[in-house]
Amino acid sequence: MTSHRTDRAGLIDRTQPRNFTFDGKAYRGFEGDTLASALLANGVRVMGRSFKYHRPRGPWGAWVDDPNAIMTVTLDGRSFPNCPAATTPLVEDMQARAVNAWPSAAFDIKAGLDLFHRWLGAGFYYKTFMWPDWHLFEPMIRKMAGLGDISRDAPKNYTADQVHDHCEVLVIGGGAAGLACARAAAEAGRGVVLVDDHPIFGGGLHQSVQIEDRTPSEWIADQLAAIMGAGGRVLPTTTAFGVYDHGLVGLAEYGAFGTAPHLHRMRADRIVLATGALDRPVTFAGNDRPGVMAVDAACEYLARYGVLVGRRIALASNNSLADAAEAMLTQAGAKITRISPQDGAIRALGGKQLKGLAQGLRRHEVDTVLASGGLTPLVHLWRHAGGKLDWCAARQAFLPGAAPDGMVAIGAANGTFDLDQALSEARAIGAGNASDAAARTYSLTPLWPEPGDKGRQWIDFQHDVTLKDVELAARENYVSVEHLKRYTTLGMASDQGKTSNMAGLAAMAAIQDRPLPEVGTTTFRPPFVPVPFEMYHGHHGKQLWHPLKRLALEPQHRAAGAALGEYGGWLRPGWYGTGNRGDLIRREVLSARNAAGIFDASPLGKIEVMGPDAEDFVNFIYYNTIRTLKPGNIRYGFMLTEGGIVMDDGVIARLTENRFVISCSSGHVDSVREHLEAWRQDGNNPDRIFIHDLTQQWSTVTITGPKARDILAKLPLGLDLSAQAFPHMTVQETQREETPIRIARVSFTGDISYEISIRSSRASDLWDKVVAAGEPHGATPIGIEALSILRAEKGYIMVGKDTDGETMPHDLGITIPRLKKKPAYIGDRSLHSDKANLPDRKALVGLAVGDGDKVLPTGAHIVDGTLSRSLGYVTSSYDSPTLGHPVALGLLENGSARTGEIVSVWHMGETRQATVCAACFFDPEGERLHA
Amino acid sequence: MRDDSKKWDAPGAPTTLEMSDGLTITPVQLARQTLLSGVDVLGRTQHPIAAWSGVVTAQTYALSLRRDRVLLVNGPALADGWHGDIAQAVSDVSDCYSVFDIRGDRAFSVLKRGAELRLDVPSKSVARLLFGLGVFLYRFEATDTFRVHVFRGQAETFFKSLKFAFPSL
Repeated sequence: MTSHRTDRAGLIDRTQPRNFTFDGKAYRGFEGDTLASALLANGVRVMGRSFKYHRPRGPWGAWVDDPNAIMTVTLDGRSFPNCPAATTPLVEDMQARAVNAWPSAAFDIKAGLDLFHRWLGAGFYYKTFMWPDWHLFEPMIRKMAGLGDISRDAPKNYTADQVHDHCEVLVIGGGAAGLACARAAAEAGRGVVLVDDHPIFGGGLHQSVQIEDRTPSEWIADQLAAIMGAGGRVLPTTTAFGVYDHGLVGLAEYGAFGTAPHLHRMRADRIVLATGALDRPVTFAGNDRPGVMAVDAACEYLARYGVLVGRRIALASNNSLADAAEAMLTQAGAKITRISPQDGAIRALGGKQLKGLAQGLRRHEVDTVLASGGLTPLVHLWRHAGGKLDWCAARQAFLPGAAPDGMVAIGAANGTFDLDQALSEARAIGAGNASDAAARTYSLTPLWPEPGDKGRQWIDFQHDVTLKDVELAARENYVSVEHLKRYTTLGMASDQGKTSNMAGLAAMAAIQDRPLPEVGTTTFRPPFVPVPFEMYHGHHGKQLWHPLKRLALEPQHRAAGAALGEYGGWLRPGWYGTGNRGDLIRREVLSARNAAGIFDASPLGKIEVMGPDAEDFVNFIYYNTIRTLKPGNIRYGFMLTEGGIVMDDGVIARLTENRFVISCSSGHVDSVREHLEAWRQDGNNPDRIFIHDLTQQWSTVTITGPKARDILAKLPLGLDLSAQAFPHMTVQETQREETPIRIARVSFTGDISYEISIRSSRASDLWDKVVAAGEPHGATPIGIEALSILRAEKGYIMVGKDTDGETMPHDLGITIPRLKKKPAYIGDRSLHSDKANLPDRKALVGLAVGDGDKVLPTGAHIVDGTLSRSLGYVTSSYDSPTLGHPVALGLLENGSARTGEIVSVWHMGETRQATVCAACFFDPEGERLHA
Repeated sequence: MRDDSKKWDAPGAPTTLEMSDGLTITPVQLARQTLLSGVDVLGRTQHPIAAWSGVVTAQTYALSLRRDRVLLVNGPALADGWHGDIAQAVSDVSDCYSVFDIRGDRAFSVLKRGAELRLDVPSKSVARLLFGLGVFLYRFEATDTFRVHVFRGQAETFFKSLKFAFPSL
């Protein structure tokens, strides 16, 4: 038996002791204890230090309302920071350490900061660390800030399960009202889920002697049996931490300590809020001393854990519920002294050890002060859902007002503090009936902070916000509650206003001499209590974090030694082989220019547009005129936004009169498909246009280079590949072994190229044959890095790299449709705006450097002579293996008129010279392209 | 650009995965998948239509995707393109989608890790977002067998997501 543990009371299992340490010292508790209850049972009161002044702190609450006892808990070699001691279940061999204290909570080396409190008021850091430079102080401030330290080692097997679920009625809170409501709803045939964050249901019922002629445990067991018997589900140790749109409630279901909670995304047709109410602190001098505690907390520690928190207790309460608390604590052996805080200012005496309580000249020798300034309904979830709050003068509290869709509050959460009334209300709501407003027995005398009172009076225990801080904020005109919160840090972090909000609002109301409801409340946001990030993270890790699309030919690429990386949402070969990356890419470029490169172009878009209006539709979608495109032909074009900005470039092939294939950029397939679908249904007849995204049906192998035709000729396709029969920008369809094959003669390198598309299940066979056919010619597979160089040599752009959010087609040199295309197209009007016609628009240019010069850095700014203004920037820049010198593309103000001009290019403090030239460095006449 | 080859498991050949509790994930080879779009294509199809959450028992059937689109499974071979006579767009998508059967008493529990699904709420469309991936999901042959069509390039991710979801049960 320890000094504060009673002989009988509590729900703990006294046959199962649990050994643990706190700040290095060994203690013993029992199965069913929390860290806080076990420490209190052992006579430990100082369990933490406040954030700013490092004042000693003991528990104020017995559950989620305790802002003070926060610990780093180590179990089996794994550490978990910021565990609230009042809700952390005690486990054998736990090692707990108070956060924000060293070497221990009882003796903290930084406690001396409290001596300087006069200079450390609200917002002191905004005023103090201005000179000579904030950054001088920043490292020290950052080191001191925060609570627990996160472990550098991610705990293994700490993974949250995430499941979607649904119920008809979700009852949040397993106290008397929640249990009665859930039972009534379940027996009425509704699909009920009842959740409570305690491991044992009952809420505050365990403090009662009897309920409806039974012991609390019997009554609770009856309700649970009835709920489950009627098909309801009950989830203990499950916290409803947030309410989101359309009845979605986030539930964190906790298992054994050290395991990640399970996330239930519960969609409920109806949400019943039975979350209860909290004692709010009384604001008096020294009210933060260890030993000052909520009345309800003392009763909970006794009822659930068999812990009598003090022997000589001052009970300072303004409400009628104190009588039952007095009777319960007296029965357990405590000597109670009733104090009426409204009769005069009170003051806690002592330091780390509470020595007594003074009221005026009268001094009470007590070891514990239990305080209650009235009950505050827990309405956080109500506000998450957008519910309104109404001020109740009789209860001196904000109560649920206009309800959000599908939500109702019952019991203490609704201001129904009397048990019989709460049960009646809960049963009516559960059965789907209206609740009768019955007589109320709860009464209280208003008790709020009084500005000007002497002594340091705490409003927010966790963040050391005092009444004087609120007064200071008001003097400095931070009078809105939202400004008050941010200026003083009132109600931040894990407290989230549970204990501090009402006192802070009341203080501000009193300072301004305004009614409290006029001041209002701050915004409540999820989560209601801290939850591990892992719970949100779930399975979205490693390869399931931003998963990439996979190529049908990936096994072939791996076998060929490809270096794979992400390009436009796909895992694609960057280059092939091992060794120096630059050398390998250079070799691939030269292979493509001298013989041929073989490239997997499968991610290129293959979106088919079909139907009687397909021609008009693609003509409307594209900047370029597509209407004149003949079947079997291909045209390059831009898609624009309504603002006239280039959103994609690519080619479009016309297969038949009513069938087009859009080959958009690999990374733009999803957005282009959505763009097409949106416009199909807006301004067009969706019954005459149909869009099929077949990108993943087809894989594409590209052969590019002077030997491309020879290599393709080795495949028995039965086609005339001559330049006359199969010219550039045409497409042919054929079959091989009953498999359709589509060959487009189109190039992204400037050399003769064929894109061979085949159904994906046959792609490996095609790839192997092309590689084998190319080998005698010196052709090799090439990756995206080599392709990027090849296209830049030719001056072919990549949208998003060589364009930005302002680039219009005429900035890229494609001007004719803007001037001559008559039918409407997306972006048309914007291309004729004043902005589109500005002479200094950034246009695509080439940038040449002198012999022997280094490659210009991509992203480097093109600046005017005084380096005072950016005129543009380098978009693509490479050392061209083909040409033997660097090539670069850029966007430059009035670029098309600057050909031949020498410009300054600035990057990271270095300025170099470049000559503006045409954006094409390779085969400008196109002889190789059309060969 | 980095070489991230080792960060990504090489895709394996699809094989049946047998897990505890009798849960199996089986790759399915269908004879043909054909995408058909057109006005009232749902009303004009001659084949049984699969919608959520009914059980498909036919071997040839049409998945209801949206009011003007179905995916015909194991149907006859049709030429790709616009069929003016029936006013329908036709595309062979047999290689576009990988197909899996998830079978067992716990199959629905596994799927609920990836989407908000309710058997008691019918839907005319089998298109769903499952584990963040656009899929077609329906019950096939038995109430405890769910068939999923997922884009070929995302099949690896889907398979991994299922494997990840199962141990958490």
